[in-house]
Amino acid sequence: MENLDALLHGFTIALSGNHIFLMVIGVLLGILVGVLPGLGAPNGVSLLLPLTFGMQPVSAIILLSCMYWGALFGGSVTSILFNIPGEPSSVATTFDGYPMARDGRPTTALATAFGSAAFGALAGVVLITLSASWVAKVALAFGPPEYFAVYFLAFASFVGMGGSPPIKTLVSLALGFALAAVGIDTVSGSVRLTMGIDELVKGVNFVVAVMGLFGIGELLIAVEDEFHVKAISSKVEWREVFRTLIHLPRYGWVLLRSAAIGCWMGITPGGPTAASFMSYGIAKRFSSRRANFGKGEPEGIIAPETADHAAGTSALLPMLSLGIPGSATAAVMMGGLMIWGLNPGPMLFIEQKDFVWGLIASMYLGNVVAVILVLLTVPIFAALMRVPFFIIAPLIVIICTVGAFSVSNSYLDVVLMMGFGVLGYLFKKLHYPLAPLVLAIVIGDKAEDAFRQSMLMSRGSLGIFFSNTLVTTLVLLGAALLVLPVIWQTIGKMMERPALRP
Amino acid sequence: MMVSRRSLETATALLTGAFGAAVAVSSLGNGIGWSAAGVDSGTFPFIVGLIILSGSIFNLVQGWLQARDIVLRPSELKRLGLLFIPAVVYVGVIPLIGIYLASGGYVFGALAWHKRGSLVFSSFAAIGTALALYLIFELTFQISLPRGALGDIIGF
Repeated sequence: MENLDALLHGFTIALSGNHIFLMVIGVLLGILVGVLPGLGAPNGVSLLLPLTFGMQPVSAIILLSCMYWGALFGGSVTSILFNIPGEPSSVATTFDGYPMARDGRPTTALATAFGSAAFGALAGVVLITLSASWVAKVALAFGPPEYFAVYFLAFASFVGMGGSPPIKTLVSLALGFALAAVGIDTVSGSVRLTMGIDELVKGVNFVVAVMGLFGIGELLIAVEDEFHVKAISSKVEWREVFRTLIHLPRYGWVLLRSAAIGCWMGITPGGPTAASFMSYGIAKRFSSRRANFGKGEPEGIIAPETADHAAGTSALLPMLSLGIPGSATAAVMMGGLMIWGLNPGPMLFIEQKDFVWGLIASMYLGNVVAVILVLLTVPIFAALMRVPFFIIAPLIVIICTVGAFSVSNSYLDVVLMMGFGVLGYLFKKLHYPLAPLVLAIVIGDKAEDAFRQSMLMSRGSLGIFFSNTLVTTLVLLGAALLVLPVIWQTIGKMMERPALRP
Repeated sequence: MMVSRRSLETATALLTGAFGAAVAVSSLGNGIGWSAAGVDSGTFPFIVGLIILSGSIFNLVQGWLQARDIVLRPSELKRLGLLFIPAVVYVGVIPLIGIYLASGGYVFGALAWHKRGSLVFSSFAAIGTALALYLIFELTFQISLPRGALGDIIGF
């Protein structure tokens, strides 16, 4: 097995003292941003990004990815103990996690969540181990039209399956494209969309956008609600942890189904949030204990947690092998890859074997580290929740400001960051999805280049997107995903109408 | 003062729509369509601008037709203002007094406002914040943070 050899080699890279140390730091920082409601995984990763510029790429990605795992776990802690989702993707965990903790079983709720989360993550990593290099091999044969078709598919699946209003998703996506186009055009060298501001020639940096959208935007949302922390005992009883974990296989079917939903939503850029909601919904519909959902049903914790982590992990598969991130956080990491001088996509598997397999190996280790650390530190981080919001809020504003400035030593970036903050708040409040916006900022240029190169190849004929089976299939699949929400809505309305009659 | 979902939807749609229109108009200057060098550099942004514009018009109509439920009550608006206005002031004074002084002042102000009285603690927290920024960014990662016009005057 070629992949297993490569993976073992990866372990020799990931298992150095330095990297284990980075994993611990990454996971702890991740739990921290996961627990704090104003900060999330994409924001935390982008805050850390400027600090990784001087590092080896493999060390940098281990630090960032471990922060991601930590944030995924941290988000569940506050969902369960305080009914406050630290991450958007752990909202569904509050439905049953909090009631179970409130009824005096916080340890069971936490252990159930972490156990199924670890299973979901494992499913994602195994999927990456087995198929990433195969996908990359297929993708090596891709030309510009195939690439554009894949990008199209990715964006179409956002609009069709993201769960937000389709037109709002479309606007969000197109805004990202426009922002990506600001600055010097890579093909012709002409300057675009600077609107008379000379400094914008360098373009709008995605780190600045992410910090505003997620950091400041999230903060403004969080401050609206009066912050009442209803403390539940956060002491972890280890006997109960092991008992819960041993009983977890009883829910094997729920685990497998949720992991499959998560992996699918991670690879197609549906993202962890959509995955967890979808998985919860399906679990509720098909469960024999449906009436118990919302009152502390274990399946109600297992389903969203497994899907959340499976999606978060497998989102790195398309990022590594195709150069298309499957989630907002993966998009930020991919931006990092480009800054470190790597070219995300199939060539990575040939030119940067150490990087790829070091990362994959670190995903196995990082998740183990995360489970252990999160169990050990639950009481500490739970205590952190009692730090009043008026202390945390200015600190987050300062971190975002300094972070935005440090990207390219520019004050304009700080002003832009605040602007993105307002936009992020409005979008969040009105259910515009943010992930497509970030995704488009990061890969908008590449999608445009692929389109223009295809047009050059075909001398301006759109027929090139139907020139072979692969391209045609991808384009048609994308088109189907685009019109699906319309069809579903129409069917839904037609089904509703007869029911309305008395 | 209260804000309805309707007005918030409308404002957002107008904002994105104006941006879309600006993008489309400004792309015209780069040339749209097909030329000897392939697809002109303004084409893609032009289409994107049109998508934003038309999507915004759809959202505008949709938002206008929506129920006028209240999404921001006075108490929420007040809390929002109490966070946002100091944050804007903080960012606004950075070019004048630099990031260190501004951050320290921001933390001091936030603490003093909420914990009326314990000024000593607030001062320590403010100095601690500025010091932490200096140690982390300036010393460890060698990123020079702005000192503002004041920094130029005193030569820091």
